[in-house]
Amino acid sequence: MSSNICIEIHELSKKYKNATHNSLNKVNINIKAGDKFGVIGPNGAGKTTLISIICGIIPGSSGNVNFLQTENIKQQLGFVPQDYAFYPQLTPVQNFEYFGALYNLNKKNISDRIDNLLPILGLEKVANKKINTFSGGMKRRVNLGIGIFHEPSILLLDEPTVGVDVQSKNAIMKLLHELNKNGTTIIYSSHHLSEAEEFCNTIALIDHGEIIANDSTSVLLKTYHSKNLQSLFIQLTGTEYRDV
Amino acid sequence: MFKLKTSIKKEFLILLNDKVGLSIMFGLPIVLVFLMTIIQDSAYKIVNENKVKILISNQDKGTLGTKFIHLIEDSKSFEIELDNQLSLIATNRELLKRDKLIALYIPEVFSASMEEKANYISKKMLVDLGLASDTITDKLSKTEITFFHDPILQDNYASSIMGLISTFLGSIEQNLMVERVYHQMGFENPKNLEHTILENRTKITKIASSTSNKVPNPNSTQHNVPAWTIFAMFFMVLSLGSNITQEKNSGSFIRLKTIPTHYSMILISKMLVYIFAALLQVIIIFSIGKFIFPYIGLPDLEMPTHFGAFVLIVVLSSIAAVSYAVMIGSISKTPEQNNGIGSISVMIFAALGGIWVPLFALPDYMVFISNFSPMRWCLEGFYLLFLSDNGLKELTGVVISIIIFIIVCQVITFGKLKHEKLI
Repeated sequence: MSSNICIEIHELSKKYKNATHNSLNKVNINIKAGDKFGVIGPNGAGKTTLISIICGIIPGSSGNVNFLQTENIKQQLGFVPQDYAFYPQLTPVQNFEYFGALYNLNKKNISDRIDNLLPILGLEKVANKKINTFSGGMKRRVNLGIGIFHEPSILLLDEPTVGVDVQSKNAIMKLLHELNKNGTTIIYSSHHLSEAEEFCNTIALIDHGEIIANDSTSVLLKTYHSKNLQSLFIQLTGTEYRDV
Repeated sequence: MFKLKTSIKKEFLILLNDKVGLSIMFGLPIVLVFLMTIIQDSAYKIVNENKVKILISNQDKGTLGTKFIHLIEDSKSFEIELDNQLSLIATNRELLKRDKLIALYIPEVFSASMEEKANYISKKMLVDLGLASDTITDKLSKTEITFFHDPILQDNYASSIMGLISTFLGSIEQNLMVERVYHQMGFENPKNLEHTILENRTKITKIASSTSNKVPNPNSTQHNVPAWTIFAMFFMVLSLGSNITQEKNSGSFIRLKTIPTHYSMILISKMLVYIFAALLQVIIIFSIGKFIFPYIGLPDLEMPTHFGAFVLIVVLSSIAAVSYAVMIGSISKTPEQNNGIGSISVMIFAALGGIWVPLFALPDYMVFISNFSPMRWCLEGFYLLFLSDNGLKELTGVVISIIIFIIVCQVITFGKLKHEKLI
């Protein structure tokens, strides 16, 4: 086991109640500290289940997830779900204040981080406007802002750029690069394969609840003689629809 | 503590942003308490304060009809309009036209038939006692007064008035009878006999039951102010329940599960904000009853003397209403479902609990079913304080019932959220 592994997933399986098949089947993954780790796969492959178990939202049926370099994991973990997970009746500042307090930050820390984060997210002008008046891109940035507000050492993102405009997508990806440069381990799930290929240094391709490929992006492309991640994806998962 | 304060602030801001919820929580009960008190006030006045409006047509050729009317007048229970021009049919018709509850038609032969009856009975009495030997051959004609009443008048109320009028008739008959007995025996009618009989009747002392020295004064305000405040508290299910279902559906619950904070802290902050809102409802609606009602001719709200017991019932009712809202919010999948289940169940609880219609107007089996309405226990608590001026000791049963209800709601909420893996 390499010393810089921060998350070790061992024989992890998940079977939902009344389901006929396992959503995850004996998954084994090691994620290194400072990685930009991409989890990709077709619809229903088990990506969200895997991320949810890592975050502690749902328990696995068997196997385990070990955080090797972190104590008080909830304080160190940041999560950006696919759904908007904030209060749209409130302003970005009010949301940051609330979630910041829940992450045990004090008043001064919260105030400082709001001042730092608003310009980065491009939300200074709308800082005190209710979020329910925002565009999809602005809402995604607020969603991301809450996930990174407490400066987590591990950040999990489930489809963070879905349904946003090019500018917002660019800003989000730029911010993620910046966070990673500063030492944040990023676990990233997406349907945007070109985005994942560009962003992630390591990829785990998941299908039918099993990891069918897991290595650095460049090694995977070389091994499977693929020109890009999309052709690799089709090569390994086939062309059949998965959502019917 | 900073977490709890921030969480309370967030819930407070969300509530302030919920304009529809706020108007339902504060506007609706204010409108209802005004409307229902004004509507019910006239009904309470009919029963408690006002004189019964009565139309009398006296066709009597003798003096007893007038004497009978004087007795009715002296009782001070009636507001009499005398119109001797009215026939029997016209009296019936004029009752509703002249906005009366009761009408009496005294026939021409009223005095004659009363005297005839008194003669007959006194004669019969003396014959039976062996003090006279005449044979009684008179054929007795019946004395009859016609009593008309407004059809909206409840049967028991009409019967009570008839009973009162019968006592006046009985009094006249009694005096006439004694007078005739003296006369038949050849004695002079003793002076002041009538006065002596009237003065020495057995009196009935009327006292409203209370455990304290204060005399309760049941009126529309004393019922409607607490009743509609309880209704408003429970109607918070629309605002608080929707708040919870929206939170569940927005994914915030999922994020909260990844945060180093226990959900119970978040739930407590929600409950504290809404308990505060419920207390505000009490202050506003009770202030209206106390300070505004007297200015529009409604009875003012008389506050109970046991202030500690009053605060206890207010706080427990608030917690019960909030716990119910949290439970409905937890078991509902969408805000629409919450609003449907919440509003219908609160309406049913209100109907069963005596908010709309006082419990005494319900049939026995409905009174039994009403035991399952938390609003009944809350209202009973307020009744014990406002109508009977009871203290903490008398509230024990009500307090235990409300606490059990709160525990049941909290356990169901916890079970449901646990089942959904939200806590």
